[in-house]
Amino acid sequence: MALTTAQTGLSRARRGVAPGGPGKPANRKSKLSSQTRKTFFWLLLPSVILLVLIHGYPLVYAGVQATHDGSLIETGEFVGLENFANVLASDAFWKAARFTLLFTIVGVFGSWLLGLGLALLLRTKIPAGGLFKVLLLLPWVVPIVVSSTAWNWLVGTPDSLVPGMFRNLGLGTPLFLADPTLAAITVMVFKVWISFPFMMMMTSAALASVDTTVYEAASMDGASRWQQFSQITLPLIARSTYISWILMTIFCVNDFPTIYLLTGGGPVDATTSLVVLAYRTVFQDFQTGPGVAIAFLMTITLVVVSVILYRQIRKSSVE
Amino acid sequence: MSAVVHAHPQSGPVLGVADTGKPNRSLSDAGLRGRWWRFALILAITAVVLVPIMVTVVLAFTPGPTSTATGFTLENFGSVFSETLASTWLQNSLITTLSTVVVAVAVAAPAGYVLSRGRSKAVSGYSLLLFVMQSLPIITSVVPLFILFAGMGLVDNLMGLTIIYVGSTMTVATWMMAAYFDSIPISLEEASWIDGCSVFGSFTKVVLRNSLPGVLSTAIFAFLLAWNDYLVAIVFLRSTEIFTLPMGVQSFFQQNQTDWTSVMALAVIMMLPPIIVFAALNKYFSVGGIGGSLAGR
Amino acid sequence: MTIKSSVTSTAFSRRGFLGFAAAAASAPLLAACGGGSASQSGGGSGVIKFWDMPWATPAYNDAAKKIAEGYAPASGNLKASYQTIQWNNFYQTFSSAIASKTGPAVSTGGGFQAFQFEQQGQIAYADKVVEELKKNGMYDDFLPGVLDPFKSDKGYVAVPWQLDMRVFWYRKSLFEKAGVALPTDWPTLLEAGKALKKIGAFGFTTGSGAGNNYGNHSMIMMMVNNGGGVFNKDGELDVMNDRNVEAIEFVSELVSNGIVDPAAVSYTTDNMSAQWKDKKAGFGLFQVNVPQRVGDTSGDLLVADPITGPHGDKATIVFPNNIMMYTNTPSQASSEAFLVAYLGQLKQLWQQKLMSALPVFKSITELPEFANDPNNVKIVKEWQPIAKTFASQGNTLNANLAVLDGGQALNQFTQTILTGKTDAKSALQTFQSGLQSVLKK
Repeated sequence: MALTTAQTGLSRARRGVAPGGPGKPANRKSKLSSQTRKTFFWLLLPSVILLVLIHGYPLVYAGVQATHDGSLIETGEFVGLENFANVLASDAFWKAARFTLLFTIVGVFGSWLLGLGLALLLRTKIPAGGLFKVLLLLPWVVPIVVSSTAWNWLVGTPDSLVPGMFRNLGLGTPLFLADPTLAAITVMVFKVWISFPFMMMMTSAALASVDTTVYEAASMDGASRWQQFSQITLPLIARSTYISWILMTIFCVNDFPTIYLLTGGGPVDATTSLVVLAYRTVFQDFQTGPGVAIAFLMTITLVVVSVILYRQIRKSSVE
Repeated sequence: MSAVVHAHPQSGPVLGVADTGKPNRSLSDAGLRGRWWRFALILAITAVVLVPIMVTVVLAFTPGPTSTATGFTLENFGSVFSETLASTWLQNSLITTLSTVVVAVAVAAPAGYVLSRGRSKAVSGYSLLLFVMQSLPIITSVVPLFILFAGMGLVDNLMGLTIIYVGSTMTVATWMMAAYFDSIPISLEEASWIDGCSVFGSFTKVVLRNSLPGVLSTAIFAFLLAWNDYLVAIVFLRSTEIFTLPMGVQSFFQQNQTDWTSVMALAVIMMLPPIIVFAALNKYFSVGGIGGSLAGR
Repeated sequence: MTIKSSVTSTAFSRRGFLGFAAAAASAPLLAACGGGSASQSGGGSGVIKFWDMPWATPAYNDAAKKIAEGYAPASGNLKASYQTIQWNNFYQTFSSAIASKTGPAVSTGGGFQAFQFEQQGQIAYADKVVEELKKNGMYDDFLPGVLDPFKSDKGYVAVPWQLDMRVFWYRKSLFEKAGVALPTDWPTLLEAGKALKKIGAFGFTTGSGAGNNYGNHSMIMMMVNNGGGVFNKDGELDVMNDRNVEAIEFVSELVSNGIVDPAAVSYTTDNMSAQWKDKKAGFGLFQVNVPQRVGDTSGDLLVADPITGPHGDKATIVFPNNIMMYTNTPSQASSEAFLVAYLGQLKQLWQQKLMSALPVFKSITELPEFANDPNNVKIVKEWQPIAKTFASQGNTLNANLAVLDGGQALNQFTQTILTGKTDAKSALQTFQSGLQSVLKK
């Protein structure tokens, strides 16, 4: 789904985008009259208002909270950047940052690889292909409160289904949520499970816009299937891929319920990501300023990473 | 990737990879065998992936702790509908979600058009801003938004919830629409301008009309976000009779215990509308969007 | 629905949002610190808004709603409305409602919520309610010591209405099968645990997974059971005392002997209930009414006797849940009148067997519906008198206890002990410094 032909996506911002491709911007100059500008203004206005209201206002509010020592109800005293300094000096922050990084990398690429594989498989003719397409979307559709519970039943206790299977295979009884390393792996697998359908749809849509004739030419030149895939398919869907990576990065970094409902961030903060840390700091330790500061730092990092990926898209569109 | 190796050509939707060198044997034994191999593979993957969901579904049809029924039963659904406000919640969820979808597309499509066609620093700056501003996690935005909306009388009310959903889907939706519009050649609009159409007229009559797959993608994104949210709803909604379905699910979680059979029954009810939507719209996604009709641009 | 009509035309996106923007612009940027506009104050329409939590099954909330809405005020006082608030993110719900002046006039809530909001000047003291209770005789009906923890220098911060007790439960058939006597002190607890382990059961059942605080409570309970605790008599932080070290070393011993389930660190409350139901749990700390909760009313699950610590101490912990009043009310006199009347009707909830907590009134503990259960009687007789609050050796409650109860420091400490990879002393040291950094002095 999503971003069907989402190829040119973000690059527009940098290019200032020429309609119909970079080739023919000149034609339009004449039409960009003051009338056009006015129309553009009106077309953009609703989104500007919503952006200010739903995103701008909380951002400013969070900025105030992060620089004060108040509570959710009172603003408190201005403390400058003290909250940021304290947060940056704490081990918990860096531990959560490392986990968030790992969680995001595994979440993005794990779901992408699985989604890509399935999208390729589903492009071919398969009996009941349409049914599989719908069934495979289910993990994305089930409410997380429910799927986290189902996962808990499958792996939560030594008597659950999956540990029981390991035991029967003579592999011991792994404690998937109680062992810090295994718990970290489990939440990542859970995240990939939730996210791959999104990647599958993104990739399916991108593959759909690839022109078949290029393969005919390639196969005449004797290119192997792997060569066709790596040298034709992948580059052709590159921009869509970058966009899906960016979106999934945001979804992973900002993800709260997946982790919180399955492990609560434990055992001993082995699965505490920055959002979970921010949440627990604000709503369980009642440290509003430091908690919001964590969210702020996370947002800044996210923006920086995304802008780097953004550049990547631009490069890929130049090639 | 074995999927690639087994890829198979066909006349319809485009493949990831062609079946090299043997274009004429596509319906031969080898081709058929590959087809069944792929079927077995995807069946296996689907079966594994769906295990957690089967757990949910099975429990939804299992008699509850106080029930006298045995085996497979529909009584959980019966009791969810008769003893709770599930039908009201379903209605609320549908209203909120559909309103979100309609308004989000109505806001994102024009904005996406400007991002796609506009050529100024301001427009490209706005594109980046859309992205930056939505990066703040929702858990830190909910409290300020509540305070703001309470001042306008928009809390404990589906309108307020819808506005927030529109706001949170709008950023990504705008990008999605812009990306789609990029694939529509400007030449179509230029022709309409010559016929005397205004910019707005050509946007609605030419561009939008050719953007059904893009609109649908955006709509589905908005649909799922609004349909599954509970982090916003839990702070904004109070009265049982205006709960959305995820809030309804939450209401079975009590201090000391959880009514799991009801949770699962409601979860199965929650899964149905998105499944119906996906199944109904499936063909629009597989035709590869606008690519075919505008080939040769 | 209003939404439907407003989204039908594109006019919505322009005019609708323009009006909306104007409204937004006129709202003060930080409504929170401005102190509330007059138009919004209180319940608005002249009703006492009472917010309650899902303390038990939906039948509980139906019954409580009946009581609140059936309340007939004396002339001049306002009627009450009832609203259930979900547990999930409840602190966020209360905070945002209070900050926007759309909160309740009276509410139940988290155990230490009243003290948190008192600190922020949002709580109306209940002294007049207590006076009224003295007049109508209910004051003398309180079980010993339940009201005192709510008295601060400025007045009563809230009024208790139920006691969420932590007591040891055991499964009789497992002890018979293991051929071991019920523990009476720590060495016999260890022995019983070892015997239970031989038959595949656990002698110290607990859990510390997502949303489960029983593990935390087990830790504090063992400290208190040894005469220790997190706070000393003067209410000062005192984690590193010898009694605590001894208690936690003992818990670590239980862990290393496999008497605690190795997966307990990740157990949710549902996982724990399943352990009890599936006869994996032989002994452990839990709440009131466990048989109903886990769905085993065969009479095999019973309340154990309190256990004596190595220095002769006997104690457990209790969470006195309470009803609080807020300064933002249409009429303080009406809030007070409602609260008094509501407390007078509480017995109905126990009569209908809806509660899984102890009542605060003696008269309710004597009701046949409550006293017919020998487990209940045992808890009232043997456990309630030795119960201490989270304030441990301190006598009054305060906002810091909310940070202790739900906060990260205690949870991480518990998980550290349950995973058994750190020695008691250094875990306590980390716990202490973690608490120090978040507690308000």
